[in-house]
Amino acid sequence: MEEYTREPCPWRIVDDCGGAFTMGLIGGGVFQSIKGFRNAPSGYNRRLMGSLTAIKQRSPIIAGNFAVWGGMFSTIDCALIHIRKKEDPWNSIISGAATGGILAARNGLPAMAGSAFIGGVLLALIEGVGILFTRLSAEQFQPQLPPMEDPSQLGEQQPPGGYQFQ
Amino acid sequence: MSSLNDSNDIYTPNYESSSGIAGNLRPFSSPYLNFDPGYIPQTQPEFIFLDGASKQRGRFELAFGQIGGSCMLGATLGGASGFYNGLKATTLAGQTGKLRRTQLLNHVMKKGSATANTFGSVAVIYSAFGVFLSWTRGTDDDLNTVVAATATGLLYKSTAGLRRCGLGGAIGFGVSTLYALWNNRDKLADLRQFNPA
Repeated sequence: MEEYTREPCPWRIVDDCGGAFTMGLIGGGVFQSIKGFRNAPSGYNRRLMGSLTAIKQRSPIIAGNFAVWGGMFSTIDCALIHIRKKEDPWNSIISGAATGGILAARNGLPAMAGSAFIGGVLLALIEGVGILFTRLSAEQFQPQLPPMEDPSQLGEQQPPGGYQFQ
Repeated sequence: MSSLNDSNDIYTPNYESSSGIAGNLRPFSSPYLNFDPGYIPQTQPEFIFLDGASKQRGRFELAFGQIGGSCMLGATLGGASGFYNGLKATTLAGQTGKLRRTQLLNHVMKKGSATANTFGSVAVIYSAFGVFLSWTRGTDDDLNTVVAATATGLLYKSTAGLRRCGLGGAIGFGVSTLYALWNNRDKLADLRQFNPA
């Protein structure tokens, strides 16, 4: 995982799409396995079969929805980087809100506003947590000043030879 | 690509270079630059590698790009195929105007998302196998590709009966073998050039 850094901009869309798809597939697989296990008829074997069927049927759809979200988010993010000429948390927040709004476009204006709000708040939370972690982990990288000697006790020490300013 | 130390290493300045800076000591362009900039080789690319890092991008680093790429490819192919099928179906049904437009949109969205999901799932399984193999074996070569693709085909069709499972594995094996052969085509050409006499 150390080898993973973000791609430069146009390829970031593909990369984020794939990451979101993977996340959705694994997360959806776990979720659907539990759901299919609970909803299946009784009997351990049948429950396992129900779990498997639910994973096969539903988790690619969840993964696809995630991938659409990730790709749209990254596209808007890159467009904002190009327009605003800078990368900061506001880009992510704006593109999260825009993604939420665009993907709910078929459900009417109130749903769009709600989704946009949720998307913006979600991305703001993520960015906030990221900044918080950066601040916390930056604490240990602060340069420490070398221990200074007390200037009042320097009297009996020889000055280091060589360079003397007059 | 020439490695750093085959013909001229970085310590011998190439006097014949056309850059004009190397060789005859030019007056330095800046009082803060206390060395001759001609000593920096300018004709060859400079690579910076961390100590002990592999000189190639690993499978994990490429995985998300591959997954996203295959997902988008699936969406494009599926969308095109859905558009074609929708055109045919609406023509057969005699639908026109608004109804036809909506039906076309439905066809494109349905087929596109289904194909994208299939392609993406296959890519995720393949990447998982590939990362796992290269992690356990410690190397990253074409054997990983072939084994991962075969296992992907077997796993993806594992619930559809023994015959189709084997068919999926065979397809994975065939595609990955073709890819590996294409990847090593210059090595194969060298092999054919070998003359025992």
